[in-house]
Amino acid sequence: MAITRRIFMKGGAMAIVGTAAVPSFLTRAAWGAATSGGRKKLVVLFQRGAADGLNIVVPHGEAAYYSMRPSIAIPRPSRGALSAIDLDGFFGLHPAMDAFKPLWEQRHLAIVHAAGSPDTTRSHFDAQDYMESGTPGYKGTEDGWLNRAVASLKEQNTKESPFRAIALGPTLPRILLGKEPAVAINNINDFAVGGRNPNAQPLANSFEAMYDQSVDAALRGTGSETFDAVKMLKSADPSRYTPAPGANYPRGRFGDSLRQLAQLMKADLGVEVAFADIGGWDHHVNEGNTQGQLANVLRDFSQSIAAFWTDLGNMAEDTVIVTMSEFGRTARENGNRGTDHGHANVMFVLGGPVKGGRVYGKWPGLGNEQLYEGRDLALTTDFRQVLGEAVYRHAGNHDLQKVFPTFQNSPQKFLNFLG
Amino acid sequence: MKLGLRQVTVFAICALVVSATALVAADKHKSKKGQTGMPQMEDSRRALHALNRLTFGPRPGEAERVAAMGVDKWFEQQLHPEKIDDHALDARLAGFRTLNMDAKTMFQTFPPPQVAKMVENGRASIPRDPEKRAVYEAMIAKYDEKKEQKQDAQNAQANANGNNANAPADDDAIKRQRQQERREAREAEAGTIARLNSESPDKRYQDILRMAPDERNRLLQALNPQERQAWMNDFTPQQKEEMQALQNPQGVVVNELQQAKIIRAAYSERQIEEVMTDFWANHFNVFIGKNLDRYYVTQYEQQVIRPHALGKFKDLLLATAKSPAMLLYLDNAESIGPHSAAAGGLPQRAQYRMRRGPFGYPVPVNRPQRPQQNQQKKKSAGLNENYGRELMELHTLGVDGGYTQKDVTEAAKVLTGWTVKQPRDGGSFEFDERRHEPGQKVVLGHKFKENGEKEGVELLEMLAHHPSTAHFISKKLAIRFVSDDPPESLVRKMADTFLKSDGDIREVLRTMFRAPEFWAPEVYRAKIKTPLEFVVSAIRSTGAEVDNAMPLVQTLNRMGMPPYQMQPPTGYSAKNEAWESTSALLNRINFALALGANKLPGVKVDTAAMLGNSEPPDAQATVAALEHSLLAGDVSEKTHATIMKQLEASQPNGGGMAADHPPNTGMIAALILGSPEFQKR
Repeated sequence: MAITRRIFMKGGAMAIVGTAAVPSFLTRAAWGAATSGGRKKLVVLFQRGAADGLNIVVPHGEAAYYSMRPSIAIPRPSRGALSAIDLDGFFGLHPAMDAFKPLWEQRHLAIVHAAGSPDTTRSHFDAQDYMESGTPGYKGTEDGWLNRAVASLKEQNTKESPFRAIALGPTLPRILLGKEPAVAINNINDFAVGGRNPNAQPLANSFEAMYDQSVDAALRGTGSETFDAVKMLKSADPSRYTPAPGANYPRGRFGDSLRQLAQLMKADLGVEVAFADIGGWDHHVNEGNTQGQLANVLRDFSQSIAAFWTDLGNMAEDTVIVTMSEFGRTARENGNRGTDHGHANVMFVLGGPVKGGRVYGKWPGLGNEQLYEGRDLALTTDFRQVLGEAVYRHAGNHDLQKVFPTFQNSPQKFLNFLG
Repeated sequence: MKLGLRQVTVFAICALVVSATALVAADKHKSKKGQTGMPQMEDSRRALHALNRLTFGPRPGEAERVAAMGVDKWFEQQLHPEKIDDHALDARLAGFRTLNMDAKTMFQTFPPPQVAKMVENGRASIPRDPEKRAVYEAMIAKYDEKKEQKQDAQNAQANANGNNANAPADDDAIKRQRQQERREAREAEAGTIARLNSESPDKRYQDILRMAPDERNRLLQALNPQERQAWMNDFTPQQKEEMQALQNPQGVVVNELQQAKIIRAAYSERQIEEVMTDFWANHFNVFIGKNLDRYYVTQYEQQVIRPHALGKFKDLLLATAKSPAMLLYLDNAESIGPHSAAAGGLPQRAQYRMRRGPFGYPVPVNRPQRPQQNQQKKKSAGLNENYGRELMELHTLGVDGGYTQKDVTEAAKVLTGWTVKQPRDGGSFEFDERRHEPGQKVVLGHKFKENGEKEGVELLEMLAHHPSTAHFISKKLAIRFVSDDPPESLVRKMADTFLKSDGDIREVLRTMFRAPEFWAPEVYRAKIKTPLEFVVSAIRSTGAEVDNAMPLVQTLNRMGMPPYQMQPPTGYSAKNEAWESTSALLNRINFALALGANKLPGVKVDTAAMLGNSEPPDAQATVAALEHSLLAGDVSEKTHATIMKQLEASQPNGGGMAADHPPNTGMIAALILGSPEFQKR
């Protein structure tokens, strides 16, 4: 890593000198002038595979919870690491998420329970697609809501950066598809033509020229986003930003994603919306309780987010992080000590301006007659109420009809976890 | 607002049509009208188009060969792979023993890491065979080391909690420390390395095998990559496998399969069979990383997918349904009818203990049970819907195929009892009557009388012949082979053939191939290559020799398409939008640069073949020859001009990249392979 970084810095410096036409925002970023003071940032994290919300934020005040989950239930609080971490006397966090406890106590972390997409599908693919398009039930929607959220912001914000909308990963996810340029980035260090070879600059220019003139509109668009982003990243040199003390990212893809996202944000690249995802939630078999498969992925999930929060430092004041998953899981455990595809789920909202330390949303209960289709947690909050509030009050985009066109959204529907 | 969206869509479609038309016009490929009145592409382009769509890309001179023999004749030949000689490929794969190994032998030869703990607990024993023994011992040494590390980490954590001033060391410091450790390790092993270097490969191999596991680990860690590669090159394939197994036994199984996928795609003469095997393996996706599945995917592809790739869909569907790979991946192996003997006869917990050991591995049924477990309350659940759902959503009807949650649950009940016998011992399909849900079930309005295993067969037959399935499969094929949004007229023709021919895949492909929509000028080079298609087509068009496919596997990992590693059951998308992204584009360009410069370890491009085995007199001719061999001349003016400019700029200094043939053939090849035109097929 050390060697790489040095070469990269050298290459970056040379690139600035050697590149004739550098847009003004690039030079600003390169010379470290503060440009993003107070720029609002929205980070969306997707738990792919349908996370088991009932074992993540545990309704330990519900007797039915324990009768329906004889082998996988999280015990009521007060038994140390082997029980739920109490939040408010009724809900508790899974003990593997103890990294979230300080965030809750500092009132930065809010929880919305029984939330999600109202569509009845229990297909992972369709449900993820709907949550990313922002139009459940409408398959024809071509773009993602996060892209639309940026598109309508554009009119209000003239400073543009190729890194305004970014996804951590090798491919651009559905949620960021659309008219607005968005960048997918897997590994900051490899994000250059010729990788780490500083002599590849002439070739980079050649490829840029080819893609600039391509008759294929999609490739031309991807090309211009790519080459702009490469230039900007080189000059900003995010590798200078190592994790802040105390930001201990767990090893793994998700921790890597958030660590790199923090680097990009701290390098002042103009990030406004960002997306990362974490898989491994589809526990049909041997889900585990306080220990086991779910506990392991929750540890990774919560520790990564907590590290990210610490790493952001003051920037966390301008940042709101929202988590979601395509649907919840059955209230009852199945015959394999796992759970099957369900309905409503839990969402986390973390951020400087968030009124945390509270569980938002109406709790529908787990009685037989209260369950959705007699098997799943019922839905009382549409995920777009939560996202809409973040887009409206935090990102300052008031055109909710553009972002969520099939949903009647308005501040009256907000849960008021912001402002 | 909906209107607004639609307007955007209409605009996008217009833009697409316009640009596609522009491409066709610009490329001077004037279309002519076919018999149906639909514009058709020119004959000279037909062979190339067929190769671009139905193979992993044309090799140098192949389009001409196919055109000479006739595209239709070539297609018919390809539909009968059994008649095509593929000995050269067999020779390339001969080193990968696991490809022909049954799962049981795989388990024994390349055991999962959990075996170390089983040996410790006395539930498995160390084999006598010296090679197998060495693998077991290495694994146990690793297991012990891990335990120590875990303990160390816990101690360190405890210390850190007590003393917060101890801030985490930064990356650089850790890196420096590791480098220092490596240097020291290297010095300590220098004598051993020198001695082994002076020995014959066979003696060297025997000596390494005889080392104590920790001694061997120190040695292998001290080796630099070049030395390691040099030693590996000297070993026989089996010795290579053994060396890798000493480090990571189950990795041998996965790596050989991944490499074989690339080698088959690149070199098989049976290209349509290969493409269709890839199509179905992706359609019936199994994630190799799911528990024991790494031991079952090899046979899944060879015995389940490939033999049916051009056969009847119902046979393919049934074979996947009964395969241990699918039964384990989508959990049907675990599903128990809520009212079955297995759920009611014995307490659920006791059942569970009998079937699964501490690592999720089933253990012998005759293990003594603790008596109190039998006293526990009976539990009625046990149904697992996972397979039942994906069977309808992804394998047959499609998500809009007209089924409900109730149908999913009922289908899952029909399929209870379909499980794997002894899954950790090379198991096979088994119908376990005791787990089968009794009584009548209703799926899609069709009643299934209680009939044991036959219920499931009946259900699969019904789904395989359903009109929704015919349409869903036809459309998916058309998306892969024709365009992202294939004309409904084409899909309907294919679906009709599907229904009339009892789901004969060969016939459905014929219908597609003969349809004018397949040859419409607007679909020419309209598909963006997936990473697999891009990488393999680059290998094929450059006539590259692949000695070691692992670097190519790693390239695919970086591009977001790791072979056999798609976790969700959807498989990879064949649509353009899935693969258009900044990170992906950079990875493609960088792969092109590395390949062109011959810098990919284990891969050597054939410069002479790329140049048509002639010596072009000048740079102009070299560029022309490469544009012809790599892209059949489908290079835009801009791309061509850019290449010429780059060539001029790099000429005086001798070029920035290593040239193996003047003028810098590698660089020109890299520019073409990384160009927008090469990203499409």
